[in-house]
Amino acid sequence: MTDLGQLLLAGLSVGGVYALVAMGFAAIYAVSGVLNLTQGEFAALAGLVAISASGNGFPLPLAALLGIVTVVVLALAIQRLIIAPVRRMTTLLSIILTLGVSTALKATMLLIWGPEGRGLDPLPGNDFTAAGVAVRSQYLWILGVSVVVAVAVSWFYERTLAGKALRACAEQPVAARLAGISVARASLVSFGIAGLLGGIAGVLASPVYFSAWDSGLALGLKGFVAATLGGLTSIRGAFMGGLVLGVVESLVAGYIDTGLRDAVAFVVLIVVLVARPDGVLRRQVAARV
Amino acid sequence: MARGREWIGFAVFAVLLTAFPLVAPESIVDIGVYALIYGIAALGLSLLMGLAGQVNLGQAAFFAIGAYTQGMLVTRYGVALPVAAVAAVAFAMLAALLVGLPLLRLRGHYLALATLGLGIIVTVAATESDYLGATSGIYGIAKPEFGGRRYDSAAEFFWLLAPVMFLAVLFARNVVAGRIGRALGAINDSEVAAECLGADTFRLRLQVFVLSAGYGGLAGVAYVHWIGVVNPNAANFPLSVEFLLMAVLGGLGSVWGAVIGAVAVEFLDEGLRDVIPRLIPHASGEVQLIGFGVALTAVVLFVPGGLYDLWRRAVTRLRRRSATPAAPSGSTVDTTDETPVLSRPDRPAPGTTLLSVEGLVRHFGGVTALDGVSFDVRAGEIFGLIGPNGAGKTTCFNIVSGVLAPSGGSVRLRGTRIDGRKPHVSARARATRTFQNLQIFGSTTVRGNVAVGRHLRGRAGLLRAALVLPARAEERAIARSVDEILALVGIADAADRPAADLSFGRQRLVEIARALALEPDLLLLDEPMAGLSGGERADLARLLRRLRAGGMAIVLVEHDVEAVLALADRVAVLDDGVLIALGRPDEVRHDPAVVAAYLGLDEDDEVDETADDPVVRAAVRELDGG
Amino acid sequence: MLDVAGLSAGYDTLPVLHGIDLGVAAGELVAVIGANGAGKTTLLRAASGLIRPTAGTVRVDGRDVTGQPAERIAAAGLAHVPENRLVFPSLTVADNLALGGWTRRSARAGLAATRASVLDLFPRLTSRLGQAAGTLSGGEQQMVVIGRGLMAGPKVLVLDEPSVGLAPRLVGEIFAALGRLRTEQGLGILLVEQNARAAFRVADRVAVMDRGRVVTTGTPAELALDDRVQHAYLGGGYQA
Repeated sequence: MTDLGQLLLAGLSVGGVYALVAMGFAAIYAVSGVLNLTQGEFAALAGLVAISASGNGFPLPLAALLGIVTVVVLALAIQRLIIAPVRRMTTLLSIILTLGVSTALKATMLLIWGPEGRGLDPLPGNDFTAAGVAVRSQYLWILGVSVVVAVAVSWFYERTLAGKALRACAEQPVAARLAGISVARASLVSFGIAGLLGGIAGVLASPVYFSAWDSGLALGLKGFVAATLGGLTSIRGAFMGGLVLGVVESLVAGYIDTGLRDAVAFVVLIVVLVARPDGVLRRQVAARV
Repeated sequence: MARGREWIGFAVFAVLLTAFPLVAPESIVDIGVYALIYGIAALGLSLLMGLAGQVNLGQAAFFAIGAYTQGMLVTRYGVALPVAAVAAVAFAMLAALLVGLPLLRLRGHYLALATLGLGIIVTVAATESDYLGATSGIYGIAKPEFGGRRYDSAAEFFWLLAPVMFLAVLFARNVVAGRIGRALGAINDSEVAAECLGADTFRLRLQVFVLSAGYGGLAGVAYVHWIGVVNPNAANFPLSVEFLLMAVLGGLGSVWGAVIGAVAVEFLDEGLRDVIPRLIPHASGEVQLIGFGVALTAVVLFVPGGLYDLWRRAVTRLRRRSATPAAPSGSTVDTTDETPVLSRPDRPAPGTTLLSVEGLVRHFGGVTALDGVSFDVRAGEIFGLIGPNGAGKTTCFNIVSGVLAPSGGSVRLRGTRIDGRKPHVSARARATRTFQNLQIFGSTTVRGNVAVGRHLRGRAGLLRAALVLPARAEERAIARSVDEILALVGIADAADRPAADLSFGRQRLVEIARALALEPDLLLLDEPMAGLSGGERADLARLLRRLRAGGMAIVLVEHDVEAVLALADRVAVLDDGVLIALGRPDEVRHDPAVVAAYLGLDEDDEVDETADDPVVRAAVRELDGG
Repeated sequence: MLDVAGLSAGYDTLPVLHGIDLGVAAGELVAVIGANGAGKTTLLRAASGLIRPTAGTVRVDGRDVTGQPAERIAAAGLAHVPENRLVFPSLTVADNLALGGWTRRSARAGLAATRASVLDLFPRLTSRLGQAAGTLSGGEQQMVVIGRGLMAGPKVLVLDEPSVGLAPRLVGEIFAALGRLRTEQGLGILLVEQNARAAFRVADRVAVMDRGRVVTTGTPAELALDDRVQHAYLGGGYQA
């Protein structure tokens, strides 16, 4: 039983990271139909920048902020310079484009930071044991922050006019434009949000899961799987999808074979795509984002 | 003649392949070997992306499957190289079939990401499997040995691989230029139109997917005999990205482009591996990826058609300068000819029911677009379907033509149910349609468009494409039929012009010619008159009368009420999803319900010439033909 | 308020509008009728910036807005109520209205007043404010969409076939509201309609379109007996 508890906690923790990345995917896709494969690299880069800043004497919170800001700026730049100029954007085209950008980003990170993975200093807090389960404080941090961020993002989309305007662009771009809402700017903002989410994920994950030049690939793809579980256009669905994926992965690694961990996400992806392409966890009401 | 120029290209290619190892230094030939090996995989990917419009981000998975299978068979089971190669390629193709069957039903970007996942699954499976050698993989694979000679230098291996590459390119070229390639090109331009002309989209895409995987597997076979070892890295993601870059850089769907792209990328790879560590001293590992990433993004942004497209545009610009100006286009149709046309001996006799629509219902969310519509269409008649905006005509039409499934009711073509089935099923039953929002195949000529209409009248598949001769006779027959139809419809003068360049009215005629090329018994026309000038409308009406005289059944959806009333034998009027009138034009013209529907009257308003409302008075007078 | 001069526009290979001249003054309701394919929707789209005109000018309240994107023209005072009643389905009625005021979102007091007047115009919506707009009936959705357009405080309101698929009684309600808007608020209204009868009842002037051109304009009474109206309206595109 403690094993199960252990695995669940670990799964929820990594699931929280997946959830943040997944929400970033959903945020962009819902507004513009773009599948942004650099989402994982956002996380990796934020972690690496934070590590460098921290290594140069910046206090932890500032280093983390620096990492996140860097990534947000990068995300906005990508949207402006690479996505927006393309006249007839299709999802498929966006995949290839962002794939190119993510490859270049990865290699740049390799050039700057080298091939080894590093970890950010852990967030403050003590590990403890409860009911026989060893609880790492980092796990609680990750889970806690993910939940807070998810609530904040939900609040943004459901309670603020700007958030509702973004949803409007996703649901009815023509009517949104006629109401004076700039769909082009909505796309830019959605990239900024995705950058923010990816950056937070990267900084949170770094102490436990390490950041390296290529850690973005697996993270990005798993985030995509999680978003697909939620229907790709639902932020809530992406969040739930992330947690579910994290737990399933943890259970498989724990009870079957640790080496199979990375394959779980893709087996899940293929099963979901074949069985229910619209996502397993999306709500029946066709509410996006 | 295009064929003639092709042969020159192939001859040049053969010469280059033979001469290259003779003139180039060893290190360059080494790069050349990699270019050939990876080029075969890139060729397959380019075929898939260009022809089927699908992206495979896991081509390396099939590459690895081919490599591992070959390695296993040759080292563990002592199978002879050629036999093992066939088995390895077949196995890669089988894997693609299994993966493609469920996944190709999805929208393109889902397939792309699923294949990406496939690559990762293969890597993980290979790493975890002791049978496959886990992380060390399989090693000790010997260089090829034929007739006592070992092919172990770069030049020898290159020459061994050259004919394989040559045949691979030849085969690919034949697929692209043949019936399958034509159908796939059409699917890329407009999937719905291609389906309505009989192209089984799913099956065709699956065939190309499997073929493309076969190319990947073949490349894996070559790889494993050159390197001598295969480990889980063979399926890694950067390799798939490299294949993607080769295909995109060369130009998607372009066979020659893939070859050029492979060469370019291999040299880029080598160059970057050389240069970057010199600029950035501590750089190590996969640093050339930065070049790949930048190149991929740049090509997609600035040169989306790849190098091949640049080449083609340059050539076209040169040709245009020397070409004579096109003669002013005009209809070549005899404007008084009313003889029957396109009759078929097997066609059902005039008056036989061809299309039977019963109790058709369709909901969209909470809205009921159609509520129990029933009618019949008979051979040798023109049947009009009219009604005000929002009446459900388009929905009804789309259901009948197989593009939309009904929520209830049935559609029968000569007794066979076709509702809810894909449009190519209707096409096989000799029913096809045109589109209100034109679905011209923009990437080909007028002739090319109409040739797609002959898809079901041909049988050449992938296997025949490999052998050029047998398909030649079929292609000639197709060309003849195409010419006849073009002349019939009056666009023969524009036969070789890009279809996208024609005026709207003439594009309409191209669509109709394309539909007629199918030799349908039932022709469904979606607002064919819209956008046509008066003269064009008269010509089209005459053509329709001639087709009717030949025994064809024609269904017309139109907003131009007058045109329909003048042309049709029977007319059905829809309003609010319900059939409110069905009969001969003169009956329908006087039907009060019809007038009310069009003018938006309340049910209890009086509809006659003495009504208060001047609009109603005038409208009634008009409908009376007064 | 709205001045269209020599407007030509189309899609890809198909030119649809050929030099349209049309004007709507403040406090005037102009109806545009014609058969499908005549270009009525294209006219509205070219005026509101959803498509770029290939020739001619569009002026809103005297300002030249030709070629500007839809978002800017909306901010300039033209509210386009599109065909197919494009509500934001998962958002509530209140949210739909609030988003309509996006271009004035900092003017809190003004927005509140406008909202009150919209609800006064369409009392049915008051009880539906918290409901998701996608769950409303067609008529109510049409009211939401018109209300959304009004929230921007426009000078010109253009509507694309608001009566499609609606029961005659609701059509009457909506058109009565349009009449009120014209009279009480001095709005200029351009109404594209297939339902000629309802349009004739409420319009000050009527323009008849056929195949991309305005073939005639006049008061409803003048046009009721004009042959060209019947031809254009019911079709009959044959050149004899």
